[in-house]
Amino acid sequence: MNILDRISSIDRRIIFLLVALAVIIPLLVPLGLPVDVSKPVRDVYDTIDSLPEKAIVVVSCDYDPGSEAELTPATVAILEHCFRKNLRVYLMGLWAPGPELGNLALEAVAPKYERVYGVDYVNVGYRPGGPVMLVSLGRNVADLVRADHAGVPIDSFPLGRAVKSARDIDLVVTLSAGDPGVLHWIIYFSARYGTRIAAATTAIMAPQQYPYLSSGQLVGLLGGLKGAAEYETLVEMTGRATAGMDSQSIVHVLLVIFIIIGNIILLYEKRRR
Amino acid sequence: MKQTLPLIIVFAFGFFVIIAFFVPLRAFQSASQTFETWYTGVLAFFVFIGIFNIVKVNVNKIQRRVSDWQYSIILLLFLILMMGAGFIGGSDGGLFNYLFEHMQIPLGATMFSLLAFFVASAAFRAFRARTPEATLLLIAAVIVMIGRVPIGYYIWRGFPSVVEWIMNVPNTAAKRGILFGADLGLISMALRVLLGIERSYMGRGGE
Repeated sequence: MNILDRISSIDRRIIFLLVALAVIIPLLVPLGLPVDVSKPVRDVYDTIDSLPEKAIVVVSCDYDPGSEAELTPATVAILEHCFRKNLRVYLMGLWAPGPELGNLALEAVAPKYERVYGVDYVNVGYRPGGPVMLVSLGRNVADLVRADHAGVPIDSFPLGRAVKSARDIDLVVTLSAGDPGVLHWIIYFSARYGTRIAAATTAIMAPQQYPYLSSGQLVGLLGGLKGAAEYETLVEMTGRATAGMDSQSIVHVLLVIFIIIGNIILLYEKRRR
Repeated sequence: MKQTLPLIIVFAFGFFVIIAFFVPLRAFQSASQTFETWYTGVLAFFVFIGIFNIVKVNVNKIQRRVSDWQYSIILLLFLILMMGAGFIGGSDGGLFNYLFEHMQIPLGATMFSLLAFFVASAAFRAFRARTPEATLLLIAAVIVMIGRVPIGYYIWRGFPSVVEWIMNVPNTAAKRGILFGADLGLISMALRVLLGIERSYMGRGGE
């Protein structure tokens, strides 16, 4: 049995061990690789940066704990930017656990900038109904949103009273891990009411959004943890995304090595036959 | 009547909402808004149906002692625990939040992160250049995988630009084609449902 035969029948637990080491070692010993900023991420940054003070940004946390590692860093970085620019944040979610995850991000960022709940930001919680709810929300917010995520009447907050329809919203940022999510915001909200949409998606969803980027239906895109790391670079913060970039780099290199070895084995087997 | 009534409801409400989209009269818009609000109200009942279904399926599993029936007990226990915590303390309550932050989030993240290990194993065993098309896909995938992470930029500053080109040109072209096809299919399926040709959504009663 030569070396290629041995590698081709390798125990998959060895592959798992190598992946684990590729994740853990760079976290313990950071390489500090430089993070370049792509155009779709810069476009999100420029759009938020160009908004006037007190503009209203809807941050829709359309994800669950499974995508928390990828999307919470993007949520935190975007909230940092919004509060730094003194924008008002109207947080909600099309997925039930989303607003709870968004609330953790709000609690981490808002006190740093001394932002006041109900005045500078509000969390209106989970909004079920997907496409139909979005159409209805854009027309008349009061029909759907009567209380915040804790059950307090929304009219008791200045920010709650300020958002009556899509016309009052300057930008929607959806943090999206699937359906309902970015696609529904584009089709049922932006197309109908003209509100600009920016998105942060899981890496696996990012390629699907490029047709909407090139058509201008999305103003920009943060793709996966890398997109969040790029945004952290732009807002000059070192968060979880930047910290995870070294691990992601090494794991990607490892995957490419696996692919190359797998194909060398394929060539060898073809030749032997 | 069991079949006719749902068909009439689907036909009437479906076409009304479509017509209301194109007719900007206040009466149409107001009625459409009312129907949309009803829809979100109806959705609340889906939660009860979902809970009823999950309890029924898992109790059945436990009774019949099918494989891995023990997990059904854990699922039901935590369903009751989370619901109880939510009902007693509210979704902002201490126990509900504790369970969410310290159990649901790490468990969800763990399940998702397992993908990295399976992807690595699949990359080694399945991602092979058996045909010219597969070779093309493989080359594009390798470029994107390396160019999408900081090490790609570190190796060669031009990598991210090549990745953006792949995403903006071949990827977008293919995605647009798929989207057009899927959307035309969606429109024809919607018309079939509204006109009562497609009845599988009614379950066995529609057959």
